[in-house]
Amino acid sequence: MLGGCFLRELTALQGLFKYQSGRVIALGRVMLAILFLLALFLDRTEPVRAILGTYLLLSLYAFGAIGIAVATWRNWWLDARLAVPMHAIDMAVFTAIVFSTNGSTSPFFLFFVLPLLSAAIRWGWRETAFTATSLVVLYMGAGLLLARTQNFELERFVIRSGHLVILSLLLIWFGIHQRSTLFFLREDFDSSVGEGDNALARALGFAIDVAGASGGALMVAPTGEEPLDGLALSRGEQRTFSLQRSIVRSHGYSSFLYDTARNRVVTRLPEGRFHFAAAADWLDIDSGFPAVARRGLAAEVHTGTQQGWLLLWGISDLSTDFIEFGRELGRASGAILDRNALLQAIEMGAAARTRLSLARDVHDSIVQFLAGAAFRVEAIKRGAKSGTVVQTELDELKRLLVEEQGEIRGFLLALRRDRELDIADAVAELRALAERLGQQWSIDCRVSADGEKGAIPIRLQLDLQQMLREAVANAVRHGGAKRVDVDLAVSDNRLQLRVADNGTGFANNKGQPPAEPWSLKERVERAHGSLELVSKPGSTNILISLPLAGAAA
Amino acid sequence: MTKVLLVDDHPMIADALGMLLRETQYELLGRARTAAEATKQVASVKPDLVLLDVHLPDASGLDVLRRMTKARSRPKVILLTAGMEDAQLLTATDLAPEGMVLKTSDPSLLTECMDAVVAGKKWIDPEIAERTRQAEARAASAPPLTRRERELIELVRQGLRNRDIAAELGVTEGTVKVYLHAIFDKLQVENRTELALRAGELVSR
Repeated sequence: MLGGCFLRELTALQGLFKYQSGRVIALGRVMLAILFLLALFLDRTEPVRAILGTYLLLSLYAFGAIGIAVATWRNWWLDARLAVPMHAIDMAVFTAIVFSTNGSTSPFFLFFVLPLLSAAIRWGWRETAFTATSLVVLYMGAGLLLARTQNFELERFVIRSGHLVILSLLLIWFGIHQRSTLFFLREDFDSSVGEGDNALARALGFAIDVAGASGGALMVAPTGEEPLDGLALSRGEQRTFSLQRSIVRSHGYSSFLYDTARNRVVTRLPEGRFHFAAAADWLDIDSGFPAVARRGLAAEVHTGTQQGWLLLWGISDLSTDFIEFGRELGRASGAILDRNALLQAIEMGAAARTRLSLARDVHDSIVQFLAGAAFRVEAIKRGAKSGTVVQTELDELKRLLVEEQGEIRGFLLALRRDRELDIADAVAELRALAERLGQQWSIDCRVSADGEKGAIPIRLQLDLQQMLREAVANAVRHGGAKRVDVDLAVSDNRLQLRVADNGTGFANNKGQPPAEPWSLKERVERAHGSLELVSKPGSTNILISLPLAGAAA
Repeated sequence: MTKVLLVDDHPMIADALGMLLRETQYELLGRARTAAEATKQVASVKPDLVLLDVHLPDASGLDVLRRMTKARSRPKVILLTAGMEDAQLLTATDLAPEGMVLKTSDPSLLTECMDAVVAGKKWIDPEIAERTRQAEARAASAPPLTRRERELIELVRQGLRNRDIAAELGVTEGTVKVYLHAIFDKLQVENRTELALRAGELVSR
């Protein structure tokens, strides 16, 4: 209970500072100023010079820091605008502190850290390096000014200078690498990629969730064209829209914050500094969007074949960190669209393969049968002309036609069904086929099944039927078999088929390895299965294993 | 009597043709179900006429015809088919069998074709002739191969793998795949094996 409360508090606190580097810096400045003031008050030895001026300066600084923190708490524009001036003030205060305090108790070091860390968090390594160099130079300048005084300790000055240089290097490194940090987890991204659904809705929904926005819009178009059509999601409602003209003109920037009501846009230059512009030049959000959409984040979206814009609005704690975050969101949204397109292509590919496979089956069985039947009719016709008794041949043809009719009916039934077929039904169909094959080849052909629960993809059932036909034909043609037994079982998500016959087998007289039933093997391989042949005179076992999961329906 | 060898794997067709040739001037000497069996039986049975299905389980009937054509003498050949792709039609035309019959045409056309071929004439199913004309027109209007595509086909013909081709041409393996698919589309071949086998014929067009 207590743990749960603490966790909730911690999460709330985390949420308060998530993507809020400006807020963290402002709060840090306030705490530092107050702490320093308190430290000076308690330590009677400090400041060593300009006592009144130091107290006055620090008091003003503390009040100013509080004012800045309050003013920028929820104002990304002011935060960005005041970033550079406040940075300069931080550095100036640092110099003054170095000048006015000198003893071993001087906490000036913290004042060195603040601007340096601010630069590393807010901007890039260049600004951090510039800040570090400036601070070190200011420190040394102040040191030189004090070198002639009695309180100056050269040894301490050199050691502290070394500390400053090492810390500077560390923070410059941080400045180089901190921008590569991912804002969201891979699982967030993976869970938003799926099959079938509207890809735009998925990508937009993902961006809204991760950014904590109340709504958003995603517009994409083929690369080179203006993104005019899109999808908007606002408070759970989804609608598509079509624009007369593109509403975003980015001027080459891939992510920016905007406030059209106050005509403001902020983005970052590639090197990390802020760039300010008038929203009227960048955005044209018309009345089709909700009022809340007039303030938010815009990010460019690129896919392999499309480009466009993502707009997110109603982000309660929008901050300048979202400029970088927006770039990542744009990339992630593009990746979701790409992955959905890929999955769709895979599905279409599987469907095309199934169509081709069905066409092959129709060609191999029905078309060939009908061609053969036509040749038979021609032969019977010629026989009748020459006075041959054709009754037997007509009866045989009729029997073949009736059998084929059954085959075609089964084939069509399978096509009309859903993607899957109960194993019990599949076994019943195989039994019926085995009976027909038995009659066709004058053999005893039986099918047994071990457990008939579950379902198999339709494509697999069609393959099974063809495999049975080929296995029986092989057993009779090559081995002169009189009996064929077929066992069907499902285990470990695989369908196991065993075809055993009492023929002479595939082994040849010279004792060489058995010839392979290549046609059957080819069909098994197409279904991503495996085939094993155990053949000896008087018995042949063909063991076929087919995956259930990988078979396209 | 004209000695006939039937090469077809479908039992219904084989049985029906057996019946059709009964009490005619044709003697059905045997039946091969595969390309390998066909090559063997042509050598052993020495038929005067081969009825050759294009779709065989182990290879194409066109491969069998190509092998027979390379020999010093070959029997007369009638290609039997239930349907051919453009590329197959063009290859078949190049290999110049004495006859070509669609299995789906009027069955009496087969005996008409056999009689004509035995009499020394060439007989092509009218529907096949028309489809061949269309295939030739399509091939003529197809985009020409680029120099790089011709280079790549030559390397495929030499049996090089994609990785080796990429190294040879100084491109990535992915680029080789893209080129290959473009070539497959242009030449209407299904895979690199077909491309390698028919490289000479396809590139010379």
